[in-house]
Amino acid sequence: MLNIMKITLKGIFRDRVFQGIMALAILFLFIPSAASLSMRQVTELSITLSLSLISFILLLLSVFLGATSLWKDVERRYTFAVLSLPINRSSYLLGRFFGLALFLLLTSALLGAVACLVIKAASVIYPSERAIVWSWLALALMFSTLKYILLVGVAMLLSTVSTSFFLPVFGTVCAFLASGITQQVHEYVYSPAAAHAVSPLLKPAVSVVYYLLPNLAGFDLKVNAIYSIAPDPAGLAITACYFCAYTGILLGGAALLFNRREMN
Amino acid sequence: MSRPSPMTLLLISLISYGLLIGPFTAYMRNKPIEEKLGYLPSIKLLKPLSADQKELAGASLVFKVLMYYGNAVGKAPGGAVLAEQPDLQGMSRLLHGAVQLDPYNMDAYYFAQGFLTWDARQFKVANDLLEYGMKYRTWDWYLPFFAGFNHAYFLKDYKKAAHYYNLAGDLSGEDLYKSLSSRYLQESGQTDLAIAYLTGMVKTAKNQAVKRNYEVRLKAFREVRRIELARDRFAAAREGLPVSVDQLVHSGYLSPAPVDPYGGRFFFEPDGKVTSSSKFAFGQRK
Repeated sequence: MLNIMKITLKGIFRDRVFQGIMALAILFLFIPSAASLSMRQVTELSITLSLSLISFILLLLSVFLGATSLWKDVERRYTFAVLSLPINRSSYLLGRFFGLALFLLLTSALLGAVACLVIKAASVIYPSERAIVWSWLALALMFSTLKYILLVGVAMLLSTVSTSFFLPVFGTVCAFLASGITQQVHEYVYSPAAAHAVSPLLKPAVSVVYYLLPNLAGFDLKVNAIYSIAPDPAGLAITACYFCAYTGILLGGAALLFNRREMN
Repeated sequence: MSRPSPMTLLLISLISYGLLIGPFTAYMRNKPIEEKLGYLPSIKLLKPLSADQKELAGASLVFKVLMYYGNAVGKAPGGAVLAEQPDLQGMSRLLHGAVQLDPYNMDAYYFAQGFLTWDARQFKVANDLLEYGMKYRTWDWYLPFFAGFNHAYFLKDYKKAAHYYNLAGDLSGEDLYKSLSSRYLQESGQTDLAIAYLTGMVKTAKNQAVKRNYEVRLKAFREVRRIELARDRFAAAREGLPVSVDQLVHSGYLSPAPVDPYGGRFFFEPDGKVTSSSKFAFGQRK
């Protein structure tokens, strides 16, 4: 499995994905000047822009790398060669997943370091009224990375059942968009305000979707990092456990399906 | 028919692009500002669409309003006087959307306070927005400071104003705001209150369009104060209020003659209060 992880990482670097990220990261240079347009919260805006850019880059990586990794191997018939080696399909799949997860972690750490420099620069030029809490910024980055690692799991699960890359790519994007709002929809449907507006049949349907789809809203700590608002440690711990459990289910399901898949 | 070579296609396209880009950018630059503020989809739709980028979406709405406002002020002929008021309702709509996406966005509250009160005269809307912000920005003394000023100056609700000024004093740790609540909260000190508030706003304004707006208003209120002082000197000496501002100028109590930067004409209300035909807002000249 470790070998597959290494191969995955090497493959990503060989495909010049990293250079692509660096090209996008040039945008970081413009953040201090863009943030200086703010009237009252230059530092806060520089944190917003930095976290948004990192989040956007990680989203692109998780959707495209996660969705194309397995598909490309099957398409190139590369899997035949690998699976003829003494390695089972589950290890192969997990190796791919952890390779991608490691790459996301590396990217996030590197971009996070660049973001810290940018934010520091902005805060020196225009000091903020509220001190920046760097540890909460790091926490926000970490949870954002966990979110996108979970999304890689979704993409991999979808690519085990798909023969093209359309389902994994669009399915993952849809899951990502839906996962940010399931909490709101669920709360609304069960609120007294919706008691008359929502049909009783819809409620269980919403509940099923709510528990089925990943709930990624909990991973969003941007507000805490931007405005230095203390996050709830118990909430963070339960979110981290949720991540482990949900990713476990995704990987278990993906391995099960991949084991049963017929390779032509 | 011979097939066009890729080079011909590229050349024709480049020439067409060269011909079009001038008129296209001119069209974009001169687009009426009303169109630029544009239509805002319902926040119920915007929230899910902005996924995990709600703070960014909120900030971009604030910037849209800022650019629009900067443009509207910049386009004003003759430097200071706007031919007509900008689309204040549209600006308010966008800023309300912004704080629903990111209730912590201070730029939105700061900017909304600036134009909702002085220009749009929507005091309740402004105060409701500040109240909403106070629920989230619990550490920020600016919001109660703004609310205190609105209650004291515009709504003449001194009890509430004192409450907010006290809150601002508690949060900032400065006694200045607490003393404001007692010092200025009487009808006679209204112009001083406005001047103190506006001087502070000019000093802390970073955006040029916003700063200029506050400077113009401060200039107008300094002129009002000058007229008030001359009026009081006149009343003390002649035991009666002057009939007009011109009378003060001609009798030597007021020199030089006051100028309303909004392009209006100063006059006395029946109770002796100084006001202007411009109502201290652009595009209101009669």
